[in-house]
Amino acid sequence: MTAVVGPQAGPVTMIDEELSADLAGAALALARRFHAGATLWVLSPQWEPHSHHVAVEFVHPVIVGKRALPAVALVAADLVAETRIAVRPGDVVLAVAGADQAQVLDVMRRAPAWGVETMWIGYGDRPAAGAASHVLWVPSDDPMVPATGRFVLMYHLLWELTHVCFEHPGLLTVPDDDCTDEVCITCSDEGRLGEVVAPPAEEYAGALVRTATGEEYVDVTVVGDVVPGDLVIVHAGAALTRLEDSPQVGQWGPR
Amino acid sequence: MKFVDEFRDPAAARALVKSITELAGDDEFKFMEVCGGHTHTIYRHGIEHLLPANIELVHGPGCPVCVIPMGRIDDAMWLAEQPDVIFTTFGDMMRVPGSRGSLLDAKARGADVRFVYSPLDSVKIAIDNPDQHVVFFAVGFETTVPSTAVTLMRAKALGLTNFSVFSNHVTIVPPMKAILESPDLRLSGFLGPGHVSTVVGTHPYRFVPEVYGKPVVVAGFEPLDILQSVYMLLEQHRDGRCEVENQYARVVRPEGNVAALKLMGQTFQLRPHFEWRGLGFISQSALRVHDDFADFDAEVRFSMPGVRVADPKACQCGEVLKGAIKPWECKVFGTACTPETPIGTCMVSPEGACAAYYNFGRLHRETAQMVGQGAVGQGAGV
Ligand code: SF4
Repeated sequence: MTAVVGPQAGPVTMIDEELSADLAGAALALARRFHAGATLWVLSPQWEPHSHHVAVEFVHPVIVGKRALPAVALVAADLVAETRIAVRPGDVVLAVAGADQAQVLDVMRRAPAWGVETMWIGYGDRPAAGAASHVLWVPSDDPMVPATGRFVLMYHLLWELTHVCFEHPGLLTVPDDDCTDEVCITCSDEGRLGEVVAPPAEEYAGALVRTATGEEYVDVTVVGDVVPGDLVIVHAGAALTRLEDSPQVGQWGPR
Repeated sequence: MKFVDEFRDPAAARALVKSITELAGDDEFKFMEVCGGHTHTIYRHGIEHLLPANIELVHGPGCPVCVIPMGRIDDAMWLAEQPDVIFTTFGDMMRVPGSRGSLLDAKARGADVRFVYSPLDSVKIAIDNPDQHVVFFAVGFETTVPSTAVTLMRAKALGLTNFSVFSNHVTIVPPMKAILESPDLRLSGFLGPGHVSTVVGTHPYRFVPEVYGKPVVVAGFEPLDILQSVYMLLEQHRDGRCEVENQYARVVRPEGNVAALKLMGQTFQLRPHFEWRGLGFISQSALRVHDDFADFDAEVRFSMPGVRVADPKACQCGEVLKGAIKPWECKVFGTACTPETPIGTCMVSPEGACAAYYNFGRLHRETAQMVGQGAVGQGAGV
């Protein structure tokens, strides 16, 4: 637990016990992804300097002897399009943004189709439960939070803990018993998220769909016409349903 | 071993576990997850050990591989062994034991058995092998039926004469009814299947609260989805409500996929009754190929033996499928029956309760016994 003295009031808990655990979990996930060859892509549509700061943090380590890690700030006006092109399966997307940022919400919901892990740093109202794999939230609604250094502290710690994980190589590979992720992909109730790349070129041809494992042709007969960017649930070579369009829907939790 | 810190959004998971514990109070709850995918998630992530002891999750008949009776496997093997037949199937059907071994054994004996990812792949095989007859072994709930339906449509449109489907598709609602009628199981509610509901929607479950007075929450497949769904079931209990709710709203629409349902209606018909392993005959619980597609119905084109075969004496899959016993309570669990040498079907598919428990649950349980349930709870950050 980290406590510092606030400017006006008494001690402020910057990183409480639960957030510490979440930071540690995010750092371990990040270290594992880097170890496997990932790149970290950073978005911050409201506070662009944060995206550059995070990328610099990882690429130019401030501690001598720490390895540089691939990280890039994404700053295009259309962040969804830029992220779609940038990421490869196994990468990580980190957003520093409020929970109401439509582009970030859209990136987060598409991420499983791109095969990327997601992290989200922010403050104020939390995004819906499960909106990202790791939600690192400052428990304050003070509008000055993005400028006070609390985000900086958060991603500095994330960076530092990631390097702590690198000092323990045994942590970097997923234990064998965790790899028994076999599910019966065909006859079970499995459904994978896919993003349409191109609609069918002719009758009986499938649509080209991007999923976490790459691109494949998928029958779209029962979902009707599709256009690039549509999100579909794929089961046994066929799309079962198309997710609704708005990034505000298709999010976690009941509706 | 997986704990809440490794879940998606651990903070949300911790908050849910806390709320569930408060909401459950001292009452006893027994919720059934109908779908094998849920069973897999529950065991893989040790969710049973995160929940308070007064909430029990029991595993239902929602693994389509597990409910196929041995006689149908024997028929599949008979088909595979016919001259000039290429028999195509999903990978997990290959090891399901019939009375004369499995499809893998038939393949070893020389039958042309091929694993496909989609039934549409079987059509490609038929086009590439015009001198042979290709049979697709269709298995699965409503999630998988649309893909077989599209395949039948395509085969007809292409005018294929060397392709047929051996349909073993089953439907989800009749076994739920059978379980609700079962006197030996007192359930507090259901976690409804996720992707089946993508096709059928949430309306078909209305009879559960309306006739049987039990709530249903259609659930997604992440640990967080399961926790959220358990929470929603408890909320209904607290509020005195009993209805069908949809936790998996990011994917499932109340009306399901209307186009898929229409296509299924054109290509399949309900069978008057069908035998379910361990559950016996259940009326209107399975689909056969529609009369309009009789040319593509393997059961019409071939005279299969169709012999009923009793399960091995030691097998208690029926009780496991009804949630009456836990996998480890079966006498042969982990000894004579393992994923390498399955006696019952529940040990074959990774979604089968016995295989899921063998792979993951056993470890959680052993750890829980070693360190005590409370310590596991602390380790889970609850
Ligand atoms: S242990 Fe084997 S025989 Fe016993 S219920 Fe499970 S699958 Fe069936």
